[in-house]
Amino acid sequence: MNSLLLVILILLAGAVLSFLANRIMPILSGVMSFLSIGAAAVIFFVQVSAADSMAIPISGFSLHWGINAYSWLFGAMVLGLSVFVALYAIAFMKGKDRLGYFFFNFNLTIMAMMGIVFSTDWVSLFIFWEIMTWSSFLIIIYAGISEGRVGTKYMIFSAIGGYAMFMAILVSNSLLGSFQIADLVSGFGTLSLGNQALIGILFMVAFGVKSAVMPLHVWAPRAYADSPMAFTAIFSGLLSKMGIFGMGILMISVFAQGTIGQTFIFSNILAWLGAVTSVIATFYALIQKDAKRLLAYSSIAQLGYIIVGLAIGTPLSIMAALFLAVVHAIFKGTLFMVVGAVERQAGTTNMEELGALIRKMPWTFMAALFSIIALAGVPPLGGFVGKWMLYESLITSGFGANYFLVIMVFLSSTAAFLYSYRFLFGLFLGQEEPEFDHVKEAPAIMVVPMVVLALLLLVIGAFPGLLFEPIANAMAYMGVDVNWNMTVLSNVWGDEVHMEPLWTSILVMFVIGATFLTFKTRRNTRYVTTKDIHTSGEIPEAHENMTFSVNFYQPFERAIEPVMKRKMDTYYNRIGEGLESLFGFARKIYTGNGQTYAIYVIIFLSILILIGETIFNK
Amino acid sequence: MVVSPVHFIAVPLLAAFLIPLLAKVSKELVRIVPGLVIGYLSVVSVILMTQVVNTGQPIIEVIGGWSPPFGINLVFSAFTGFLVSLMTFMAFLIWIYSYRFKKIDDAPAQKYFILFMMLVTGSTGIVLTGDIFNLFVFMEITAIAAYSLTAFYRDRDGAEAAFKYLLIGSFASALMLLAIVLLYSQVGTLNMAEIAQRIHTVPQGMKITIFTLFVVGLGIEAEMFPLNGWAPDAYSQSPGPVGVAFAALVVKAGVYSLVRVVFTMFDIHGAYEFLIIMGAITMVIAEISALKQTNLKRMLAYSSIGQMGFVLIAFGIGTNAAVFGALFLMFNHAVIKGLLFMSGSYLVYNTPSKEIKDMAGIGKKLPMVSFFFALGALAIVGLPPFSGFWSKLYILMAAADASFYYLMGTILIVSIIEIVYYFRVMGRLYFGKPQNDVVLQKPTLGGIFAMGVLATVIIVIGIHPDFVTGFIQSAADTLLDKAGYINNVLQLTNL
Amino acid sequence: MDEFWMKIIGFVATVLLAFVVGAVYGGLVRKIIARTQNRIGPPWYQNFIDILKLYSKSSAINHGFMQHIAPAMAITASVTVLMFVPVLTGDGWFPWFENLNFKGDLIFLVYMMVFGSLGMALGIGQTGNPNAAIGVSRGLSMMVGYEIPFVMALVALMVQTETTSITGLMEYQDQHGWLMFSSPFAFIAAVMAMLGMFHYGPFDVAFAPSELASGPPSEFGGKYLALMMTSGSIFAFAKLVLFVDIFMNGASNLIILVIKTLVLYMIPVLYGAVSPRYRTEQAIRYFWGWPTFFGALAIIFAIYY
Repeated sequence: MNSLLLVILILLAGAVLSFLANRIMPILSGVMSFLSIGAAAVIFFVQVSAADSMAIPISGFSLHWGINAYSWLFGAMVLGLSVFVALYAIAFMKGKDRLGYFFFNFNLTIMAMMGIVFSTDWVSLFIFWEIMTWSSFLIIIYAGISEGRVGTKYMIFSAIGGYAMFMAILVSNSLLGSFQIADLVSGFGTLSLGNQALIGILFMVAFGVKSAVMPLHVWAPRAYADSPMAFTAIFSGLLSKMGIFGMGILMISVFAQGTIGQTFIFSNILAWLGAVTSVIATFYALIQKDAKRLLAYSSIAQLGYIIVGLAIGTPLSIMAALFLAVVHAIFKGTLFMVVGAVERQAGTTNMEELGALIRKMPWTFMAALFSIIALAGVPPLGGFVGKWMLYESLITSGFGANYFLVIMVFLSSTAAFLYSYRFLFGLFLGQEEPEFDHVKEAPAIMVVPMVVLALLLLVIGAFPGLLFEPIANAMAYMGVDVNWNMTVLSNVWGDEVHMEPLWTSILVMFVIGATFLTFKTRRNTRYVTTKDIHTSGEIPEAHENMTFSVNFYQPFERAIEPVMKRKMDTYYNRIGEGLESLFGFARKIYTGNGQTYAIYVIIFLSILILIGETIFNK
Repeated sequence: MVVSPVHFIAVPLLAAFLIPLLAKVSKELVRIVPGLVIGYLSVVSVILMTQVVNTGQPIIEVIGGWSPPFGINLVFSAFTGFLVSLMTFMAFLIWIYSYRFKKIDDAPAQKYFILFMMLVTGSTGIVLTGDIFNLFVFMEITAIAAYSLTAFYRDRDGAEAAFKYLLIGSFASALMLLAIVLLYSQVGTLNMAEIAQRIHTVPQGMKITIFTLFVVGLGIEAEMFPLNGWAPDAYSQSPGPVGVAFAALVVKAGVYSLVRVVFTMFDIHGAYEFLIIMGAITMVIAEISALKQTNLKRMLAYSSIGQMGFVLIAFGIGTNAAVFGALFLMFNHAVIKGLLFMSGSYLVYNTPSKEIKDMAGIGKKLPMVSFFFALGALAIVGLPPFSGFWSKLYILMAAADASFYYLMGTILIVSIIEIVYYFRVMGRLYFGKPQNDVVLQKPTLGGIFAMGVLATVIIVIGIHPDFVTGFIQSAADTLLDKAGYINNVLQLTNL
Repeated sequence: MDEFWMKIIGFVATVLLAFVVGAVYGGLVRKIIARTQNRIGPPWYQNFIDILKLYSKSSAINHGFMQHIAPAMAITASVTVLMFVPVLTGDGWFPWFENLNFKGDLIFLVYMMVFGSLGMALGIGQTGNPNAAIGVSRGLSMMVGYEIPFVMALVALMVQTETTSITGLMEYQDQHGWLMFSSPFAFIAAVMAMLGMFHYGPFDVAFAPSELASGPPSEFGGKYLALMMTSGSIFAFAKLVLFVDIFMNGASNLIILVIKTLVLYMIPVLYGAVSPRYRTEQAIRYFWGWPTFFGALAIIFAIYY
């Protein structure tokens, strides 16, 4: 049997089985889902090769599936992360109701993502795209917050994106006579400039929605924050990457073929949109008080960088984008799992209430720490490698506007330190609250995936070449050749950063410093609670909690106030209100009065008889 | 086995008249016989359809031995056969669904089944007949049955809805009749094939006037804007199964006759563009109105109108691919909207106010029904992998090939509106707070079965559309083969 | 093997040098500020005394693992930054200083500089002292402020010289003269950013002794504080050398190095000594005003250079 089909079928069967298993025993549902995803992953990593391809004929055309280096990268990302998240989800979802429903859609979403990755023609890509959309919609409304309104917003934007893609596919098919992705790549250059722009913009809208580019991002914060965390890890880590997957195809290979690639300011607009998205989203992230929201905005910001990288389109920047995409999937998946664990154990994710979980959930903290370091892009973890390549590619691109772009990106990633710290501080540090004394470390089945992924980030930081290899293969498939080295980063000007001395220096110094501090000291000091502190002479009451955690970045908020005044949401709401009242007016055509309807018929008849000659006489 | 298209008209009509007599014998027979009749018709239609597709020749039945152009003829071609099969299939499911309808009270049930048989007769008759005057007659049969069914509950709203329907419907009849009279005075025949052959002899002005009358008359039945004022009320006030019948049978027959007039009888080129424009307007206004509805059944009704607008657009594009898509959409609409009306009725029964906002949390109380509704909603907005997706794909593909980019944009934007209101209901159903735990009416076994069949069809066709595309393709080919139609019908004259 | 030991010796020598110079500068600064404020002030070697005293003390308490390990993270970052900055160029007195210096990528350095602050911030966070957390909040916020003009200046330099490494910049300066003159706007922007980077007034709100009880380090004592101060001295020196390297073509021997760094160092110190304190948002707005404008000017200048 074709291994691509097998992967899809296993995931589909897993969906159905986990739905049914819920009837027998709720916990089986998650186990079923995990097993199917695991099996699919095994088949994917062991069996699937470039030789696998298949075609399913449907009257008039056929659906083609195949795999290449580029899609392998994304497929590996999807299944690789999903396995961990699925394992985590077993414990995370335990005890919640409607598990069958949840895991059915969970598996279906992953199946759809694999389908997208496998598709080599647009129609099957679109089919899986829409399956992904509605199955994820069904999970978003699972929590039932505000009666599905969040879900509706997500669905509206997804529908806009989906239908934009649909139209782009059909237009390109009618112009080129083929639904194959490869044919669009080869034929794009032959189209007229107008058609290139039409197809390009439509596709960009389609993929932009999923990758939450401004101004199409407004669905994301709440959708990410309100779905169950076990799914948000997938949602933010992988689902958004499907947008990047599509954008990659377009930016790397399709537009490169067209005259649009050289003449049109397309990629620059997109790059700036990506940069502005990342800045604004970062600002929003750092004023959040809910950890889920913070991460949701942070996801949008991180996707912004990836888009910048893709849009710039130099080999290094593409590599940076793909690298960041993979690393983001790992660390953001981990972080959402961390928040999920905190939510499950402590019952809240409000950073103003929580604090000092570090001693209660040390493993979770460790996972969070590594992921945050990677997120902030601080050396020596994986995140830094991606950020470095992104900056260097912008600086070496030799295009004036890009130098300002790099400032935008830098602003966003510096401000990202703020929310990174806020996240760790809000959840794990600060003074201990008696009400969280009962909190215990999450069950092992949740901790293991988080810690393994966190360690993976460490490995990627030390040997970025492990990721460079598949990425370079993917890029080679797309026609962009790039050099890479296991531990050396380099740009086109010949400047290099060697990761080995960096790691050596950091490890050696850290070990020296830590040993120095620990030697004799650790044994002689005793741990005192975080209440036992220097308070400038004031003696706080025993129950008083003095942690500084409300309005943590108020000064910064004041500084950025002018930017924050305008919210995209408000504009959309205004458009929505305008349309609603317009629709209300249109609806009044149906008065419910029989006489009016009769008059309509008569008027219509008279008009037709009067002007019938002109309209029918062609 | 001797089966002939005549059975489609004779058998149900006979059954309709026999029902009062049967009622004397056994009350259960009143319910069983319609099912047997429709089941028989379904089998007949499948047999004939296979025969037609295999031989590539339509079956033409001349009633009373008079050959065309004088006699009444029934044309069972791949096109009409497809529609008739669809209608009988849907009618059969409606029968199953409504088997226990008004179980406690047999007198209304008797009326219901009589009227329902008439509705089936009329709708299939419209599709099968090859004679324009007969078409008018069947349309009247359908209309009378439909008026009565609308007012079935004998309440104020139902009566009002029926009155509106009657008011507008009488316009339709009058205009049709006028058009037929004028046409007959010009070409001297009522046979559609012959009309098609002779239409070019009619002076242009006259031709257009007649055409206009036809369009307005038939447009009322086909729910074209602004002639569709009757539809929302009729759908929402009639009993549940009747709504299904309207969507699956009556409207389909209306669209069929409009298409027959435009494609076969007349040769007016502007008509195609006219169809596109009117279809687009119909669709936009209907979907917008649906968005603002608070009553579930009215919402479904407007959605139905919108879908018919979409069908008209597809027919207006007029290429083979577009017609194929249009027929596929008619099929999908019948099936999916059938499922939505069937499940929606149960939702409404359990919500005394009939308002969408009061349906919160019904998903827990009626899991099966809600699931079917959700499935229908996913399918009707054209999400893969459900059947609705394919028709949308084919139609838009045809539109793209004809370079109607603005039209595509309009259709897709309207689809977004559609998604909004359907998903709003879905979100309510599953994740609103339930207001009470009382289940007023659980679905009957027949209801579950009928909905289950439709759901299966939706999924199966969605995954493997080739089960039906063959039939639809030959139906589309047949419709567009005007010369073939004329030849086939008129050949019989000489036999 | 020989080379390896040379490197180790060079490494230790560089760190020692950095520490000594940094600590002396620290003492000088205290003296200078005192004099401008009409006080006598501590002797110039006061910092050595403080640090030595702190090293000899043992701590009695800790607040947990992160707090315990934070000074180690700080020293790690300072030394690593130092390792990537060429201290002396050419055949100076200590030619092996150069050997350890990798090429020194600017973007990397900018990020590496944050490593220590973030590590410290985490340790500080665990102490649960509200003053410390407020200090961190202010310090990080202000960092966003001054990093922008600083990076703009760096980008301008990199664009102008077509290299991103410090050694590359210095080779460029060997041929074209100091970048301080050939890229004046970048220099202005960088110096203005430097005002914030050293946390002297008016940008000392994060450590404000009178408001926050010295803020971030308030829960640290003994070895912890000693290590932090050591790290701070090294870090200050590394930053100064970085500025000297990129704008003034480094230094070929220690005397020149001391002169150049001292002159540069006096800018924030003297400016700070006479300035009242800015609130955090005022500081951020300040950095996003003129310094950023000059940064933008520098980039435009570099594009058309």
